[in-house]
Amino acid sequence: MLVFTRRRNETIMIGDGIEVRVLRIGREGVRLGVTAPPSVPVHRREIYDLIREENRRAADAAPAMARLKGRMQVSAGAEAEASAGGSHAS
Amino acid sequence: MILHTTSGRPEAASMVRLVTPFGTFTVAGDEIVTFPSGLPGFERCRRFVVLSSPEIAPMRCLQTVDEQAASFLVVDPRAALPDYRCVLGATDLMRLGANPDTPLVWLAIVSFDADGAAFVNLRAPVVINPERMLGFQVMPHNSLYPLRHPLAST
Repeated sequence: MLVFTRRRNETIMIGDGIEVRVLRIGREGVRLGVTAPPSVPVHRREIYDLIREENRRAADAAPAMARLKGRMQVSAGAEAEASAGGSHAS
Repeated sequence: MILHTTSGRPEAASMVRLVTPFGTFTVAGDEIVTFPSGLPGFERCRRFVVLSSPEIAPMRCLQTVDEQAASFLVVDPRAALPDYRCVLGATDLMRLGANPDTPLVWLAIVSFDADGAAFVNLRAPVVINPERMLGFQVMPHNSLYPLRHPLAST
């Protein structure tokens, strides 16, 4: 890991398009400003991690689909109404 | 919206066959949505399709056609919360190749707890620009919506 000492208003450059600037240093934390191209998403790490974990939890939808399908069969297709997206299950 | 019926369309070499618990789908290349950054946790899945079937309606299935298996049940976030609203910034619109007037498709990822109760992720919705077939998962810096919003029994 590269380690830098930066004062207020000083920056670091990452590649040629990303700049991280120290805006304020306080007792509660350091306020950073990030400038990056639109193609580079910038997130707080803990939020990214939270969403990643939630996605992993949700990722295998097959058992839930099988349950939904079972429920459909039980209800004898009473709610088998065409959905908005044209389906072409074969 | 994403999947159109393929009847009458010539079978192309780019057709992908997907087997799901609710049927087998044949997907053409122009039905594939590109997620340039993948999804968090599935960064290597770049190509997805949205599958619809009466068997899972009103939910749909967001499924990758890439090697790593990932399939999500998704639902219109407004089905969970009628006044749901998520505003995209200029950077987000640029990533979608969209402008503020472009009609976008919003999908909230559904998950289930151990008891089988359904929840929707309203915090980080998936958004697709059907004109460009580009999508990504929005991670708003400030969102009041929860990661797990209970989905009323459908």
